[in-house]
Amino acid sequence: MKHDRRIVIVPCSGIGKAYGTVSREAAYAVTLDLRPADSQLVALSLLVLGDEAARAAVAGSPAVTIDGCKLACATKMVKESGGTVAQEVAVLDVYRRYKQFKPQGIAELNEGGQQLAHAMAKEIAATVDALRESERGAADA
Amino acid sequence: MPDFLETTVDKFTFKVAKDRYYTGEGVWAKSEGKRVRMGLSDFLQQRSGDVAFAEVKPVGTLVGVGDEIAVIETIKVNVSLASPVHGVVAETNPAMATSPEGINQDPYGAGWLGDLEATDWEADRLRLLDAESYFRLMKSQAEEEAKKL
Repeated sequence: MKHDRRIVIVPCSGIGKAYGTVSREAAYAVTLDLRPADSQLVALSLLVLGDEAARAAVAGSPAVTIDGCKLACATKMVKESGGTVAQEVAVLDVYRRYKQFKPQGIAELNEGGQQLAHAMAKEIAATVDALRESERGAADA
Repeated sequence: MPDFLETTVDKFTFKVAKDRYYTGEGVWAKSEGKRVRMGLSDFLQQRSGDVAFAEVKPVGTLVGVGDEIAVIETIKVNVSLASPVHGVVAETNPAMATSPEGINQDPYGAGWLGDLEATDWEADRLRLLDAESYFRLMKSQAEEEAKKL
């Protein structure tokens, strides 16, 4: 059934940048802790490689992309892979709303980075809920 | 729209507006009547990265040359910016509170930081670099940065 499709979450794959790490931590929090039944994580690197399962996942479900910088690789790759970006999230935009959570660290985020990732994850979870609700509404109509 | 000097180093293109003066650190100053408007050069904004926050000293603050006039926080670093002139902060760019990305998008226009009532612009101007001099300095700085990549 159409409304059983899980929302795809595609985070930045940038290595060596705190903002990239924040994006991935937020994606893990949504897909593993907050909304495991309603969302699924797709690795950006698999889309870059043209992995068939990853491409099928983004082609079959709305996606929430999380970009660590203005290059917006996650958003671009989902679109190039035939997917639909339902919501673009930029770490910098979220950080501007949570100035008290300054992210630092790369392999291991500081407390501020973890709090920023958690705040972002809660917002994305709400987006997942809204998208799922919209899908259910469309399926029931 | 100002004319620009332009150079490409590695994969990055940098512009220097011809119609203003610069500090060696990349803060520009442009005389506009009794006021001097200031902001970041294209090279400085690109080297610093995407701006998250920009805080300019409040209106009425008295600053000397070299005193901190603003601080920007980017995804890479915090940058303290030194005032290019003596004077009093007369106006700050209100857009900096809500959309500091203007610094990255339009460093010589909408991304201006503040206006100062300069105490002695003509004297301060002599200590600044004209566009051609800053362009040469900036190009050498950019080439040095590129060697580190």
